Amino acid sequence: MAPLKLAIVGGGPSAFYVASRLLSLLPQSSSRASALKIDMYDRLWAPYGLVRYGVAPDHPEVKNCTHKFAEAAADPRLRFFGNVNIGTDSPIADTLPLSLRALIPHYTHLLLATGCTVPVPHPALPPSPLCVPALSLVHWYTQHPARPAPPPLERTTHVTLIGNGNVALDVARMLLTPPSELAKYDVPTPVLAALERSAVQHVSIVGRRGPFQAAFTTKELREMMALPDAAMVPLDPALLVPPEGAPAPTRQQARTLQLLQKGSKNAFGTTRKTWSLDFFREPRALALPASSSAGTARPRLTLGHTELDAAGRAVAVDGETTLETDLVVTSLGHRAEPSAPWADAALGHTRTARGRVLDADGRVVRNVYASGWAAMGARGVLASTMLDAYAVADTILQDHFPGEDVHTTPVSERDAVRAEEAVEVLPREVDVHAIPGEVESGWREGRVTDFEDWKAVDSEEVRRGEVLGKERERMVWEEAREFLAFARPRNVRA
Amino acid sequence: MSARNTFPAPPINRPLGRPLRRGFHTTAATFHGGIDRPEPGTGIKVHFQDAKGNPLKTIEANEGDDLLSIAHEYDIDLEGACEGSVACSTCHVVIDPDHYDLLPEPEDDENDMLDMAFGLTDTSRLGCQVRLTKELDGMTATLPAATRNMFVDGKKPTHH
Repeated sequence: MAPLKLAIVGGGPSAFYVASRLLSLLPQSSSRASALKIDMYDRLWAPYGLVRYGVAPDHPEVKNCTHKFAEAAADPRLRFFGNVNIGTDSPIADTLPLSLRALIPHYTHLLLATGCTVPVPHPALPPSPLCVPALSLVHWYTQHPARPAPPPLERTTHVTLIGNGNVALDVARMLLTPPSELAKYDVPTPVLAALERSAVQHVSIVGRRGPFQAAFTTKELREMMALPDAAMVPLDPALLVPPEGAPAPTRQQARTLQLLQKGSKNAFGTTRKTWSLDFFREPRALALPASSSAGTARPRLTLGHTELDAAGRAVAVDGETTLETDLVVTSLGHRAEPSAPWADAALGHTRTARGRVLDADGRVVRNVYASGWAAMGARGVLASTMLDAYAVADTILQDHFPGEDVHTTPVSERDAVRAEEAVEVLPREVDVHAIPGEVESGWREGRVTDFEDWKAVDSEEVRRGEVLGKERERMVWEEAREFLAFARPRNVRA
Repeated sequence: MSARNTFPAPPINRPLGRPLRRGFHTTAATFHGGIDRPEPGTGIKVHFQDAKGNPLKTIEANEGDDLLSIAHEYDIDLEGACEGSVACSTCHVVIDPDHYDLLPEPEDDENDMLDMAFGLTDTSRLGCQVRLTKELDGMTATLPAATRNMFVDGKKPTHH
């Protein structure tokens, strides 16, 4: 029976959903159980990807999915290795670099579950201390190992978000929610301290199209409207009328329209803090004024006006608005790292067909797959990632057991890959237990983490949180490494 | 030899008696697992079927049991990523119209999640929020079809 020894690059939700699905489709009781081995690698020292380092702290229920991930990791056929950076440049210190060439000889199958980690910039707004991607704030408040500089909130009164999807609303909500309300979640202590010193009074959320095209969803909009200490600037009622000739609003659009019409729980003018949705505005430039009294110069953001063309795209019209703001935060989506293996620069992620990776010439790369945002682009929440992961798991098993009926998610077409058309990069025979030597020695020196390490850190973070009356107190890598040197010393084989 | 049963629907591995997650949720997570099976013939019947209308299983459960816990108890392939805390849409089910009308209206938070569910219908609910009562005996719960737009197939993203 041919081995299915799978390396998964990435340890976030799509990786765990594929792994979990494969393990449960070939349960321990199956005669084929021993054919399956999965080694999962993440360049962060902790698993779970965006679930740990992306989901907002005040949405803890979303993170319940990690229980299923931990159950998958309890299967002895799955191993996790953290702090291993495969094949790309990494901004994160102390990771073990590993080339794909060093990984490949050990595996018969490869799954790319590397997400979309690069923020899309705005062409008119080069990164600077005045203009940061939303990802850097998310990384700051989740204590992501990339360690971005914290925003200088103590001297920031006005923040402008460019983009009106859920990430923008998450950032706005984190800046406008009273820190005392956030204290019970897993917001790191230094972040809470910075939020307590924050001078932010207004957050503008700028979108280049209108309310019917906004990417936020109802739950997040509802949370903004319910903020206890902030009020929304009322919208021009003309904006809330569906454009002439437009198709009937979707259910979600109809419900968000109701929320926008109703406005915020607190009437504008009754609260210290405010926020606004600024539709049909597109950034043109961000500058410090040339001459003004020292120390009082504020950045000025120039916003062009837009309208929708016949195809529903934003086009510029006459008119400009200037906003004095202290910090601009771009939240325009993400794309995959261009240096990632088989990344398609034009597409912004890996090119696939039913989960099978395609090379630059459009040929299937045998036994190489991609799932989640790495394959789909940075769209969708856990539900869509899960569905995609399960479909990819189906494809992996269809390819490995041709002619058998792997049919656990509905499929509309079936296509077997003809052997002569596929590109070969992976070996057909491997040592089923071996891992690259660099990973083995990295683990021995305490630089590479495994899942038992994560479980120990996880418990410790929760324990430290209990002392402080919060969900958990997150550790940074240095703290985790020090803790593990004591709790799981490497001279004792687990 | 038929290969039909080579890959049975995976058992949902959910240990019984899992402790309620200690924490600070704004919506309490449903306590999963550990629902008792009634004596056959005495419980409330629910017919589960797949997206095409093929019957999967007819089961019996008790008053107050929710459809997600029931599905897990009887190894029906219904996911619950957020474990019943109305923070996802993975337990989306379609209820037959007559029994749908007997259910109390969804709250805002459930409707917010249903906004994002795949294959949403007029009689869709989140399984974790449908609790059995005696008048729901004979209800049909259909697992919705997944969309096939998960595979990008090389399409360029639409530009706005």
